[in-house]
Amino acid sequence: MILELVAVGLVVSAFLAVYLDGAVYSVASLASTVILVAILYSLNNATLVAVFQLAIGVGTLAVLFLSSEMLSEKPSEKKPLKNTFLAVAVALLLSIPSIFLSVGTNPTHVSSSVSFPEALWNLRAIDVVLQGLVIMTVALGIAIVLYDKEEEKD
Amino acid sequence: MDYVILSMTLLAIGIYGLLTKRHLLKVLISVELIATAASMNFVLLASSLNKALGEAFLILAFSTDTCVTGIVLALLVIASKKYGTCDIRKLAKLAQYGTIEGNEKSNSKIEEDVA
Repeated sequence: MILELVAVGLVVSAFLAVYLDGAVYSVASLASTVILVAILYSLNNATLVAVFQLAIGVGTLAVLFLSSEMLSEKPSEKKPLKNTFLAVAVALLLSIPSIFLSVGTNPTHVSSSVSFPEALWNLRAIDVVLQGLVIMTVALGIAIVLYDKEEEKD
Repeated sequence: MDYVILSMTLLAIGIYGLLTKRHLLKVLISVELIATAASMNFVLLASSLNKALGEAFLILAFSTDTCVTGIVLALLVIASKKYGTCDIRKLAKLAQYGTIEGNEKSNSKIEEDVA
């Protein structure tokens, strides 16, 4: 029952994150999506992934919240409250198939002896490559900002 | 409950946002939702298979997610500072007709075209 409630909340908050006009409201809905995804992970015995999801989600949401507050314009006309309720109803309808339908992907016989830290250790080569990617992205971001400032000076 | 259908629903919502929303921040939120749908599929199927490899791989996939977010946010800041808009259709018009400083088409004319 808890899983179903979390799934419904997840679909509703994801739909509102896309539907709502105000950027701040969208980011707030995305925050609830991230929290519900983390709860879903922890209910499925993936506690470490849930912790990582929360940690990364909080960082992303903080940056998104700040940028939405600074950069977005206020919507010229507000959507009536009726439309928002209609959107919630549509999202509730969208969440029904995930509760009642099944595509038969629940395997019961497969198991593995590899533990989570062991698997993470086995993937350390990919980890190093991805860390390089993150550092390159940071360097690219700094280069873009510096280039922009140089252009402003000229 | 089926997680594949749940992640398909999230994917559909993300694609809906990508196709209908014009604000760059909304596009970023849609991309985040699509990434969440993909990672959810990964971790929940890995949990049901008792395979820790999928969960470990997901933690590495978070770093690429963060890179995408960083790049789109950098684009958002630059577009907002330089052109004063985050509307992707207006930015597309700018790419089509040249920059505002290029005097090929005025800003108001571009806005008329978009409207």
